[in-house]
Amino acid sequence: MIHFDNAGFSVQADEPQAPAHVVLAPTSLELSESRIAVIGANGSGKSTLLRMINGLVAPSNGSVRVRGDDTKTKIKAVRQNVGFLFTDPLSQLVMPIVVEDVELSLKASIKDRTQRRLAALSALAKLNLEHLAMRSIYDLSGGERQLVALCSVLAAGQNILVADEPTTLLDLANNQLLQHTIAALPQQVIYATHDLEFAAQAERGLLVANGQVIFDGPAALAVNEYRAQVRSGAIRA
Amino acid sequence: MSTSPLMILGHYQPGTSVVHRAPLLAKYLLVLVVSTSILIWRTPFVGVGALLLSLALFAIAGPRVLRAWAAPLRHLWWIFAILGIYQGIINSPAFAIALVCGMFGAIQCGRLILLTSTQAALLEGLEKAATPVRLLGGKPETIALAVALMLRSIPAIATSVQSLSDAAQARGVARNPLVLAAPVVINTVAYAQRTADALAARGIMERDS
Repeated sequence: MIHFDNAGFSVQADEPQAPAHVVLAPTSLELSESRIAVIGANGSGKSTLLRMINGLVAPSNGSVRVRGDDTKTKIKAVRQNVGFLFTDPLSQLVMPIVVEDVELSLKASIKDRTQRRLAALSALAKLNLEHLAMRSIYDLSGGERQLVALCSVLAAGQNILVADEPTTLLDLANNQLLQHTIAALPQQVIYATHDLEFAAQAERGLLVANGQVIFDGPAALAVNEYRAQVRSGAIRA
Repeated sequence: MSTSPLMILGHYQPGTSVVHRAPLLAKYLLVLVVSTSILIWRTPFVGVGALLLSLALFAIAGPRVLRAWAAPLRHLWWIFAILGIYQGIINSPAFAIALVCGMFGAIQCGRLILLTSTQAALLEGLEKAATPVRLLGGKPETIALAVALMLRSIPAIATSVQSLSDAAQARGVARNPLVLAAPVVINTVAYAQRTADALAARGIMERDS
């Protein structure tokens, strides 16, 4: 369970008298559904909301708690529970060989090198990626890279996956592959996306606009609301 | 596309040869022995011997590694040519052969480490070598990770420079390092920020709260 308790994020303006720029207005949410989609225009505050769950962004007011752990004070415990998948997999793959990158995630928990290698191969096998184990990350397709990044993120046994537009850089086939993989995960998944079909598959949808969650309900209704808002001009490019 | 340092030095080529399986320490000792030998005995016999030894080891490491043998020559042959001609005139042809062949042999033995050792093995070796920093309160694993990130950043920054150069040319701006400097720095800082976010998100090097 993830709790947003009046959590918001604002950036102080350069001039002391100027009002702070509100990136995400104080928000209270309880996120317990297995699949939650976050939709909205670019710059609406989606990424900030997601980053707060993993502690990448600390709320400037209020608090965010993951399974009872505050993201400000219990960051290590939070990140043991929450994995974060970025839009560009190359930004988050550190080691040049696939299995080595998965091993990096396991380094803190498994000290023995042989055991770590076996655990990494096992993690790859769970996502049917064992055939990529010895490949260079630079030789993989975009979809394969994103799946390897997903494997590296979840290798340490996180219970929650937060994904920030994970399909944006992928072609149709890789997009479908990643969606199917995410759909089959046992973890709770909270994802931001511009793919409204992907968003509609979630149980719950959050529509974010101008730093506020303006709709919270079934994902299909959130998508309809987003379309209506764009059509009416309330949400603009 | 310009030649990146990694293209010249080479990167890991998977294999199961005896060279691949040799301990990292043995590979480093080979570089030490070859380098010391060409410094002490500056004769064509030793220089050519070092070169032939490197060629033999590349061949034993397998066809993928052997194909990478000539990569430095393709890009840096002119440096060796200038050096050889200069030493041939200033000293003697025999000395020129000893120097150029010896240098190239030593470089190839160094490249053999990169071509036949995984980055994980290299970093583990570095971590072991850096163990004494614990006495000063440092963390060897932090040093190893920093080196891994540095190596990873070379192709990323090279790609960034190439993309910005292409973009400038597409807009009719001539290749000018001064024009590219600011955007390259900004891109590099943004890349570093993304990398830091990714490491933090994965809980790598996380401190206890």
